[in-house]
Parts: sequence; structure tokens; C-alpha cells
Amino acid sequence: MSKYAVLNTEFPKVDALERALGTAKYAADYFMPNMLYSGVFRSTVPHAYVKKLNLDKARALPGVAAVLDYTAIPGKNRFGIIVKDEPCLVDDKIRRYGDALAVVAAETQELVDEALELIEVEYEELTPVKSFEEAMAPGAPIVHGQTNVHAKKHLEFGNVDEAWDKCDVIVENTYSTHILSHMFIEPDAGLAYLDEQGVMNVIASTQNPHYDRNEVAAMLGIPMNRVRVKQATTGGGFGGKLDIGVQLHVALLAWHTRRPVKMVRSRTESTMVSSKRHPITMKCRTGATRDGKLVAVDVVMTCDAGAYGSYGPAVIGRAPVHIVGPYECPNVRCDAVFAYTNNPMCGAFRGFGVPQAAVCHEGQMNALAKALNMDPIELRLRNAHKVGTVIPTGQTLTESVGFTDTLLKAREKALEVMPEAMARLKTE
Amino acid sequence: MNKITVHCTVNHKPVSVEIEPNKRLLDMLRVNLGLTSVKEGCSEGECGACTVIYNGEPVTSCCILAGQAEGADIITLEGVSVDGKPDVVQQAFIESGAIQCGFCIPGMILTAEALLMKNPHPTMEQIKEAMSGNLCRCTGYKKIEEAVALAASRM
Repeated sequence: MSKYAVLNTEFPKVDALERALGTAKYAADYFMPNMLYSGVFRSTVPHAYVKKLNLDKARALPGVAAVLDYTAIPGKNRFGIIVKDEPCLVDDKIRRYGDALAVVAAETQELVDEALELIEVEYEELTPVKSFEEAMAPGAPIVHGQTNVHAKKHLEFGNVDEAWDKCDVIVENTYSTHILSHMFIEPDAGLAYLDEQGVMNVIASTQNPHYDRNEVAAMLGIPMNRVRVKQATTGGGFGGKLDIGVQLHVALLAWHTRRPVKMVRSRTESTMVSSKRHPITMKCRTGATRDGKLVAVDVVMTCDAGAYGSYGPAVIGRAPVHIVGPYECPNVRCDAVFAYTNNPMCGAFRGFGVPQAAVCHEGQMNALAKALNMDPIELRLRNAHKVGTVIPTGQTLTESVGFTDTLLKAREKALEVMPEAMARLKTE
Repeated sequence: MNKITVHCTVNHKPVSVEIEPNKRLLDMLRVNLGLTSVKEGCSEGECGACTVIYNGEPVTSCCILAGQAEGADIITLEGVSVDGKPDVVQQAFIESGAIQCGFCIPGMILTAEALLMKNPHPTMEQIKEAMSGNLCRCTGYKKIEEAVALAASRM
């Protein structure tokens, strides 16, 4: 028996039964009487001014209840989880492929699709910014405001510059991680309706109903107590449903049509416009003593954060802090710059930049082991966090530091299930 | 568009459904019959979330037109549970911790049911092969495979 009531005991997941029976209601499973279907007209260029947007033909199609552009927004046309830099519907300019230009509500999904085909747009295209390097180049087109620098962080611990003299070995490498889609199995979906009290109700596939409520209220220009957001059973998010999905668009259409409006994104649309994992490049210099103790780590971190901020300010806060991973190092410096570009927006994705940092610190540990001709697990054990370790934020770890035990267990298991690979570790 | 009438058996009961001929079996089950356990994940037969048992075989209902289902015997997750209680496969999924977000689970369970109808004592390799057309983004599959094995052990 465990000495705890919960830890080390097994419980069935609290809502597993309804999911096993198929009775759990996901956002697309809601249907209401008199409900309209809806869709979004999106840009097919990454960076442009809208010269002309002709909604007349779509509006004239019988069965179409509303075709709206940004002029229909009663409140604020800027949202975003940390920085309010994304429009509900484009007003000034298009910043990425797939930016929303107009929304349509109609009696059937087929009519929605037909109406979307009838919308005509003329672009005045701008040179797109396609990478971090392009964003930082002198004279680069500016994606937002005055500069393409979206966020910057500087981490300084100990004295890196003075530490190199104390190192017997220095390894330098550059690591790049790629952009990645969450590919949650349930495409984004939602439904909005005004109830008899005039409260805007939104039922959605979301990880952030409380944030959604603020955004919907601000967009409609109504107090928060006039908006209710209900999280439907949600089919995976992994951070990708922290940013608002269909919620603003269905709320705007329900506001104007005074009817329930449902929107379900296709897999293509969901993948195109939901956030992505930040692709981060880390140029890293690591120094250690002959017996494998880390002395200094110096990293320059750059990132193409895409067209909108999303969780970028949180990711850039965490990736540098974790740049040496679970290893003690008395001298650490990290300079990070995230840039706006016209690529897909990057946001929260399981770990907020920490997995990207792991590619760097684990790569460096392997490189260091090779340079020192040392067992890579032994090298990690020599540097492992323990109670009393001071980490690069200045915090002293006082309890619950399980890394050494975990690594020893992992080594034990690896020797059992993959002895050949473990033998190679010694010789490589 | 002129509607067609589709006659088939759904969850052990005969039904006839009036539906536009361009609708998929997925639409017929979800919208016309209200069987919303059938999930739409990719709309092109890749993810397996819309799997139903169709004449004894697990098939993706997004790739079948409603009209093709004339005379077919179709089972969705609603037709598996007995009086709102989980059957042996559903129970095994719950106990094994195989369910996280749950969106893939109707398809997973139906694929497992179809396997166990034909082969009540599959090997782990046979389970993995049978389940390979159903994607899960949360669990990493191990617990799903264990759930199918647990169900088989109780049959």
C-alpha cells in the first residue's frame, strides 16, 4: 500500500467512460435548431495590402445569411494571447498565407463553400519576409510596426568571458530545430449563439476558455459578463488550442445574424492557420574541465517566430533558462532574438521552447563526451542537478531533484534492452 | 439536388434515410442519424477517426458515399455498448488508461471490435497490424495495444 492517498495508486480517468461510450460531446457534435454553417475567406498570399474585396456576389447568393469583413466588427479588431497583434479579420494588411479576410454564414455547408468561391479579392503584394535572416537584414520589409524584432532575452549567470581560460576542452556547434504542427486529431470547431438574456455563448474546442471570453467580449465591444465560453470535450491541443480558433468568427456571425452559427475547420485549414512549434537555431559554445565538469556555456539563439506573437514571449522566456538542461554550470549566457516574418505563426507547443533547448544541451553533452573520450552517461552524471545546485536563474534547488536517479534507472534499462547500442557508446 | 433513400442496418436496426447523393456515410451517420460518436479528423481516410464496422470490416466512413451503403450492415460505437454500459472492449480501454482526449477512441474501439470478432485471440503483432490504420496523437499507442490484448484475454 502506498503511504499516499493518490500518488502511486491507479484511478480510471474521470471522464473515460463517456469517451469510451462515444457520448462525450466535442464541439462539432453540437447542433442547434435554426443553426447556420460558416466558413472563412483566407488570403492566398503571405504579405499584401487588400486593394479590393468584393463581397457582393457572395451576399447575393440565396441561402447566405451574412458575409462580413472587418468593418462589421463592433469592438476591437486585435487579439493575441500575450501581444494583441492579430486581426479577427484583416484591416490594414495581410501578414501570412491564410489570414482571414471575410467570414460567411449560410443555411448549409455547401452554400458556405459556394459563397466563399464567389468572393473576389485583389492584392497589392509586398515582398514577403521568409526567414530570421531576411527579417534582420537592413532594409527588410517590416511585418508589424517599426521593427521585425518580436522579442529579445538576455540571460547572464556567472562570468562566461572569464571562464574560458579555466576550460580544458571547448566544443562549438550550431543546432537548428524545425517548425512543427501539433496535428491534434480533432480539427478546430465551435458554435456561437445569443441566448434569451442577450449573452453571447460560445462552445468551442479550446484549451483557453477564459482567455477566449476576454477576446470575444473585446471584439464585440461588450462587457465580459455578456459572454460565456464553454469548453467542449476537446480532441487534443498540445498547446495548439491555446490560441483562439474559430471562436471570434462564429461569435461575430452570430452577433450579426442573431442565429446560432457553427464552424468546423477542415484538416487543411486547421493545419494552415493554427500555431506551430518555434523553429530555433542555437549557436552554442560549451567549455569543460578534463574530468568533465561543465565550466561555461554561451548560446546565441535565433528564431523565425512567424507572422503573429502568440506565445512567443513565453517561449523566449523559457528556452534560454533551460539552455543547459539538468546540468550544473557556473557560467551561462544566452542571447535570444525572435523575429516576425510572414511564415506561419508559432506558439505554445508542449514545453514552450524547452524541447528545442534540449536538442542543444544534449547535443553538446554528446560532443563533449566525444572530445573527452568519456562515457556520455558518466559525463551527464558528473554534471547532474542535485539538491543544492544553483541553476542559471539564481535559484537553489532544495528538493525533488530526481535526475540522477532517473538517469541511473534509464541506464539500467538500456543495458537490459539495448546492450549492443550501449556497448557502442563506450567505443564511439 | 434530388434526394435518394438509403436503406441499411445501423446498430442492429433497419433504417431508411433520405439524403443528398453527394453526402458521405460519415455525414449520414452524424447528421441524419445523430450518431456523433463517429468523428471526422482528416476527411481523406488517413486518420481512422470515422471508422465504423461495415459488413464486418472496419472502414473509414469519410470515404464512402451514403448511397453506397444501400443494404449494408453498419455498427457505430453507439451500437457496441449495452444499455449505456461499456462492453468488454470499452471497459478494457478505460482500465488500461488507453483514453486521453478520446477523439480517436470510437474508431480505435470499433477497429478492435472488428478484429476480435474475427480473431478472438490475436497476437500482439496482429493487434498492432489491425490497429495501424487508426491514428492517436495523445497516448503513443502502447496502452491502446494493451487494452485490446486485455479485452481479448477476457473473451
